[in-house]
Amino acid sequence: MLPESLVADVIAHALRGGASFAELYVERWKRRALRVLNGEVKEATSGLEYGAGVRLFYGTEVAYAYANDLTPAALLEVTDNLVRVKGASGRVDSRGRGGLDFRKAAARGLHTPRVPFDEHPKRYRLDRLRDADAGARLAPEIAQVESTLQEWEQDVLIANSEGTWAEDRRVRTRLYVNAIARDNGTVQTGTAWEGLSVGLELFDRFPPRDVGKRAGEQALTNLRARPAPAGTMPVVIGNAFGGVIFHEAVGHLLETTSVAKKASVLSDMIGRQVGSPVVTYVDDGTTPHGWGSSEFDDEGAPTQRTVLIERGVLQSYMVDRWGSLLTGYAPTGSGRRQDYAFAPTSRMRNTFITTGDTPIERLFAQVDAGLYAKAFRGGQVKPGSGEYNFGVQEAYLIRKGQIAEPVRGAMLVGKGPETLQRVVAVSSDLSTGSGMCGSLSGAIPAEVGQPHVLVSEIVVGGESE
Amino acid sequence: MTHDDARVYVLAGAKERGVAAEVLAEVGREITARSHQRKLEHLTQAVRGGLGVRVVVDGRVGYAYSEELTPQALDWMLREAIDNAGLQSETGGFIPPGQHVGRRDLVGESLRGSLEAKVQMAIGFESTIREDPRVKQVLYASYAEREWEVTIASTEGADGSYRRGVAGMMASMVMQDGTSRKQSFDDDWATAVAALEPGRTALEFTERTGRLLGARPLRTGRYRAYLAPKAAAAILAAFAPMWNGKNVAERKSPLAGRLGEPIASSLVTLVDDPLLPEGLASRPVDAEGTPARRTVLVEGGVLRSYLTNSESARTLGMENTGHAWRTYRGILWVAPSNLFIRPGPGAPLSEGVVIAEVMGVHAGTNAVTGEFSLQALGLWVEDGKIAYPVENFAVAGNILTLLKEITALGPALEWEYGGRIAYGSPMIEVRELSFAGA
Repeated sequence: MLPESLVADVIAHALRGGASFAELYVERWKRRALRVLNGEVKEATSGLEYGAGVRLFYGTEVAYAYANDLTPAALLEVTDNLVRVKGASGRVDSRGRGGLDFRKAAARGLHTPRVPFDEHPKRYRLDRLRDADAGARLAPEIAQVESTLQEWEQDVLIANSEGTWAEDRRVRTRLYVNAIARDNGTVQTGTAWEGLSVGLELFDRFPPRDVGKRAGEQALTNLRARPAPAGTMPVVIGNAFGGVIFHEAVGHLLETTSVAKKASVLSDMIGRQVGSPVVTYVDDGTTPHGWGSSEFDDEGAPTQRTVLIERGVLQSYMVDRWGSLLTGYAPTGSGRRQDYAFAPTSRMRNTFITTGDTPIERLFAQVDAGLYAKAFRGGQVKPGSGEYNFGVQEAYLIRKGQIAEPVRGAMLVGKGPETLQRVVAVSSDLSTGSGMCGSLSGAIPAEVGQPHVLVSEIVVGGESE
Repeated sequence: MTHDDARVYVLAGAKERGVAAEVLAEVGREITARSHQRKLEHLTQAVRGGLGVRVVVDGRVGYAYSEELTPQALDWMLREAIDNAGLQSETGGFIPPGQHVGRRDLVGESLRGSLEAKVQMAIGFESTIREDPRVKQVLYASYAEREWEVTIASTEGADGSYRRGVAGMMASMVMQDGTSRKQSFDDDWATAVAALEPGRTALEFTERTGRLLGARPLRTGRYRAYLAPKAAAAILAAFAPMWNGKNVAERKSPLAGRLGEPIASSLVTLVDDPLLPEGLASRPVDAEGTPARRTVLVEGGVLRSYLTNSESARTLGMENTGHAWRTYRGILWVAPSNLFIRPGPGAPLSEGVVIAEVMGVHAGTNAVTGEFSLQALGLWVEDGKIAYPVENFAVAGNILTLLKEITALGPALEWEYGGRIAYGSPMIEVRELSFAGA
């Protein structure tokens, strides 16, 4: 994306200014988005994003700049401005005088889409969104259906003063359907979505009509649902996007972003029993076509499979370069950023609870009175206190081990380490879902997953009598 | 190409093709200086910009944008926008007739100052935070400034630009007392560097989180609630889309068809004022170049207006309130500027729960149905006094019920700022809300 000589010049320029490490991140990103309401196109947009981020380390001190003028003069000026901030503290480094030998790493094509970004006319996309619309219209109560398609083709180049030169293309496609049901003045919504690191073959893996149907069914279920109960109770958490609970309750607590500052309640706990022995938690950046997969992270390191918690014992944190520098833990290929406007930090990729051995009926059989949280919205956490929440979009009461009538969504709240200890049983129906995760380095695609899980008590934020 | 050249190039290209077009160009600038252990830890300084185009071809609308300002990229952008327009079957789209509104600079000298001085503000800010012995860790303590120059031009005569910016202090810290730990994520913004008071802000932040230490569980029940101004502003932000004329036109708002009806307690007046002096999100024109003006949305509890742009105003048969919203990467939308609930005479505490902070707002609110269920941190109130902090609970209800049950408003407005929009609220007393806890 940029000539090697220019990249080498920028890095050498930074080293001459005394930086102990220099990195250039270049990005060219094509995006398309299409929103269809009731079968009619509301907005169709295409975009081209293009820019670079220069990151310099002076020991553990970091200077970052980004720009979208990538001419040699502009890039050198940006780097110069950063170097100047360090002023007299910069010492001349001999590495800046010689040439840099980049070790060029090419992507192996683990996530290469079957359908390239520019294939199929736009109308083909519109027709698929109309399929989703039709799929959602299960009953006259479905008043509106909104379906959205997002397509990304992101090319990145990451080069640094240690000789890293990594080029990666990330193609991602996501379909989102929102159904609105109305009946006698009551309004309820249902949502369903799927996203993967694939092209339009997403539609083969998840036929739009089926995704639409799930949204429609959920809206109709919510229309006849009563308010959720309020209070502390056992909860069976659904599989797939249900994994958002541990993404919030545990995952964020294991990022060196917080761990390095001891601003996580799970800092300094490697080797300790932090959860129930039925929990094994993995963050895997290599899952073929996973929504959060890439061949290299945004620091140019190959991604890897990282076992975070095994049978309840903490095995590893998620470590980026800076986090590694501060903590001494080896990097895990977890440096991620929204785009060139963000310096990378340690982030989750595809994070999931592994398969357990409790048959799903046995999960429910253990609950006399509780909640079955089947579908979800997002969540949030404070790593420093462990307080987390996540929104439930579809739920049912559990009575005497049986799934009973539907109740409306509610927020579930708790403290991460407590919830992790309260996992009673894990089923075997592991599945995944796609989300957007927001943190210090912006919003990134992150996959979550789990089988059905029974937690002995969580606060259910429904309405009290 | 410069942004100016690119704008001229794209509009000329549109005219050549006989297409109506509107270009929104933007250049943003950022400085963030983060202090750790009283030293500069992380510094970001940057410029980012691009050009977005909205075209109308036979009443059909299409969008595209580019950050690469080469003729090839801009040609691609225009082709894509025209191609995208071809997907629409509805033909009601239009670029509103525009006017020359000139250039307005709302920033002036207000963000001036040496980088070193700004770094020192971050360091001083962190030092004051760390003076509180309950502060165990500081995840970040930063000075930040953001500035945008926005230019709007169209083939229909719109032509104008403005520059605005903000500066602020941001911090996240972990505080501990005994085994009780709380973490804060706070920010405080102003329209000028000189208006920032890092020391005072640091004390406010530590006080706000420190008072939550030693929290006890809250028993499930229905209690009188006092929404702290920032918590109320965060909830207002989540439900502001209910007043969005585009959502109303698409029947995605529970306020659709209710103009002139009482929707809130008679104490409630809700205003959007893009001309507010010192407003964090003040702007002279909207994203279509329509001159900005103050709009009263709710007056004495009665729904008076929605926020509209040219298109949603036409669909709803209403006046255009000048609330078109768009960034160069986005599509034309409708959004508030400085949206606030007008303060009242006061909301003295009697009994119930002060909701000091709400969490999970993006996941716990639904602006289509009005329902909310939110994690909260609070203070238990007895006999007119704060008795002790409470935690691990959620508060739930419907925003339309909450608005009707408002029984008092505090005297002072506080602002939540994010996504270039400012939401303001005083303390709000609500007769009763449902709390789920122990």
